[in-house]
Amino acid sequence: MKKLNFCFSTKLTFDNYVREHSFALRCIPPESAAQHILSCELDIVPFVSTKQTVDAFGNNVITGYLKGEHRFLDFEVKGCAEIDSTAQKRDYMPCYLYQSAYTKPDAALKEFHHRISMTCTESEPYSRALCFCEALSQLMTYDKQATDTKTTAAEAFELKRGVCQDYSHILLSVLRLDGIACRYIAGLASCDGETHAWVEIWDGCCWRGIDPTNNCAVNDEYLILSQGRDFGDCAVDRGVMFGAYTKQLQLITSTLSANGYY
Amino acid sequence: MGTISIEHGDRLFWLGRYTERVFTTLKSLERVYDMTLDGNADCYKQYLSAFGLSDCGDADTFFRSYIFDKKKPGSVAHSLERAYDNGIVLREEISTEALSFLQMAMDKLEKSSESTQGLLLALLPMEDILFGFWGCISDYIYDREILTIIRCGKSVERLDLYLRLKYPWRMINLEFERLCRHLQNVPKNSPYRYNTKHLSVLAELMGMGEDYTERADEAIISVGRLFETV
Amino acid sequence: MRLCFVFLQKEFAVRQEVIILAEATAIRTPVSNAVEINELLRRYGVKFGIYKNGVFKEQLFPFDPIPRIITAEDFKSIEKGLIQRVDALNKFLFDIYHEKNIIKDNVIPEDFVYISSGYLPQCEGISPVHDIYSHISGIDLVQGKDNEWYILEDNLRIPSGASYPLIARELTRVASPSAFTENDIVDNRNYAKLLKDTMDYVNCGGINAILTPGRYNAAYFEHSYLAELTGSVLVQNDELFVEDNILYHKTYTGGKAKIGALYRRISDEYLDPLTFEPSSLIGIPNLMEAYRSGNVAIINAPGNGVADDKGIYYFVPKMIKYYLGEEPILKNAPTYLPFYDEDREYVLENLGKLVIKDVAEAGVYGVVFGSDLSEEKLEEFKNTILREPRRFIAQEVIDFLDLPILDNGEQVMRKADLRAFVLSGATTRVWASGLTRFSRNPDSFVVNSSQGGGFKDTWVLSR
Repeated sequence: MKKLNFCFSTKLTFDNYVREHSFALRCIPPESAAQHILSCELDIVPFVSTKQTVDAFGNNVITGYLKGEHRFLDFEVKGCAEIDSTAQKRDYMPCYLYQSAYTKPDAALKEFHHRISMTCTESEPYSRALCFCEALSQLMTYDKQATDTKTTAAEAFELKRGVCQDYSHILLSVLRLDGIACRYIAGLASCDGETHAWVEIWDGCCWRGIDPTNNCAVNDEYLILSQGRDFGDCAVDRGVMFGAYTKQLQLITSTLSANGYY
Repeated sequence: MGTISIEHGDRLFWLGRYTERVFTTLKSLERVYDMTLDGNADCYKQYLSAFGLSDCGDADTFFRSYIFDKKKPGSVAHSLERAYDNGIVLREEISTEALSFLQMAMDKLEKSSESTQGLLLALLPMEDILFGFWGCISDYIYDREILTIIRCGKSVERLDLYLRLKYPWRMINLEFERLCRHLQNVPKNSPYRYNTKHLSVLAELMGMGEDYTERADEAIISVGRLFETV
Repeated sequence: MRLCFVFLQKEFAVRQEVIILAEATAIRTPVSNAVEINELLRRYGVKFGIYKNGVFKEQLFPFDPIPRIITAEDFKSIEKGLIQRVDALNKFLFDIYHEKNIIKDNVIPEDFVYISSGYLPQCEGISPVHDIYSHISGIDLVQGKDNEWYILEDNLRIPSGASYPLIARELTRVASPSAFTENDIVDNRNYAKLLKDTMDYVNCGGINAILTPGRYNAAYFEHSYLAELTGSVLVQNDELFVEDNILYHKTYTGGKAKIGALYRRISDEYLDPLTFEPSSLIGIPNLMEAYRSGNVAIINAPGNGVADDKGIYYFVPKMIKYYLGEEPILKNAPTYLPFYDEDREYVLENLGKLVIKDVAEAGVYGVVFGSDLSEEKLEEFKNTILREPRRFIAQEVIDFLDLPILDNGEQVMRKADLRAFVLSGATTRVWASGLTRFSRNPDSFVVNSSQGGGFKDTWVLSR
């Protein structure tokens, strides 16, 4: 078990005024058996009234509506959490067994799954996932330029390049082809200065995390912000606004530091 | 009734304007037509010049196009189509009944264009239909704000056309007084709050009596900018 | 209520003395004055919009003055059957988005639920006001030559069409009053009241609003007409916003009015760009959070698509038994699921006389009549079914009872179906009327307004 201090901030700027800006943030880490939130604060500038709900996947959703004109939206969430990655989480949903928008496999992904499932001798879901993860890491090259947030598993697989989001989508796709329920996690990890993404596997009784980008098991230095079938359910922030802007720039920074063991 | 959106407010205003444009255009064209009966074939040119439009050939072409040509801006048919376009999205505010009068007017106008009777006779039922429309508006709409917006549109349009066509001062002044009564009913923050400057210009010009024609252009501009925000 | 009206198709513009039906049905005085009806139709210009080659056109929905007659006795049993069916469907929806007992108890295999594109995990755990998911259900039925009524499909995502028979009735009463003095016809003009009652019952505080995609939507007439009759505000998405998880209508004076119930026609996936399809321009951002927070009722509820799915249809009679402990009153068309061994055997043996539907495809897409396939194609299809048995359902082709229509003054027989409207509020009620659609083409089984078909009024006799 570890105690983590976290701080996550994004600065969204527009090159012209926007108004009637609706947003939904999934940046408040959810409480679970594996993640106990000791403190958490959210600051949003400009000031705006917000509401918090919990969505179907168990994520905290902060909604807001900025009516007047503005050129930026900044938010920062910081706090402290106790992480015990060995604790059992049992919030299963049947949809995790089925392919979703980002993970729909094409012929190449099916072929890849076929190939790796032949060579993998493991039978337990988690061990198979580790096996697939290994195969994936041999094939993929980490590349920040190759893909964007709209890239699907099939597209990234064709490029054999991508970031944590793409690694996770591909792993989800092959796991679901294999009949293993799994979900996408968006969060913070000490290895990543922005947001990180990884995968959780349902081993029949609880969830266990795997980080396909780093080809390793998830430990106590991973903080979950949101979870769902794929990136689409987990976007840390989503917004709709009106205005004559042509560009928006988002700067994301995050720090995660252990402040003690138990 | 619930609430009025900006879009519907705008539609209501223009429904008032276009329906009135249909009516007053029809009325004035009928008057011009009546004048041509006495051998004054060119009097239609005065009508055109009041709107800054160039001659279109002959009286017959003029009447046919300014009444029946849907593509001619300012024609009865064109204005009626615009009125219908606004009305169709306002069914729940103005009622199916009121809307049906606009549909009827379009049907009637189309039939009149094929008529071999005299033009005035063929067009006479158009006025009945338009009065029917305004009857529905007065009778079925209980929401004062909705009524006020439509009536502001109607009054503004009539003032604009009367000023351009140099109607007698008395008629213009009566319409101006009516508009002022409607304006008193406009709630705060409404886009139909009058602009004080332009309203006082109009009031001043109305004070000139028949001499208003000397400054009619100014009046037309002020009518057009009556709802400009300060 | 005011008088409101309809139109007729162009063919009727020719003056003709039309005397309609009689012998085949139980009514005493036929509808007369079809020409006058026609004139009123012109006047009231009821239209629906369609796109032809990318150009928007407003068309009249051809109205046939010969009504479909449903006897009091028939209606009584249809009514009971529909209430039963819709109650079970509403219970099913609640179950699927909560405990999922029907799956746990092995009544429905889970794949059929979760592969359905209508199943939305985002709706998991949300309880709509009074647990009503399908407030307005449009159940499509046909009457077979055996006089038995069969359910063709359930439409639980705001079915449209009620406004047409509603306005047609108003009109026919004006033009042909004797048909109403001589026959005992249940008045159908209570539809607006039924709808308003339903909206008021689930309203979370605030006004009722009808959300329309705009004038160029096929159902625009219906939206504006129902808004007028129910006293709702007709709104478009850019007039709405969600603040503090409350849905508001922006007013022209810069104010806002809370909306407590939102009748909407747009598809679930475009409803809220912050929950569903992010590129949606016709949605309302954060509407789902307002809905989840219980601040607005969405009519019909998002996620209903899972219950009117082609694959789920097979299980509706089982749902009725499971949730209500009753025997289904109305029959499904005989349906087989190749997913089950015995059904698969039957389907493979009888493929040539069945109609096969691909559950993954919407509407008329993916519907194949076995009789249209060559020997070779049949074999090929059998292999596809063997490979992916859960992708298909197979149905017996029902021999419809044809209805008389007027075609250029002559009475001819055509295929027709009936869309019955069921409204769920404090109680579940069936509208004593419905939309009867017929096909223009004598050989066609497709009764669809976009294919040139028309509609009839549906008379339910009071005795």
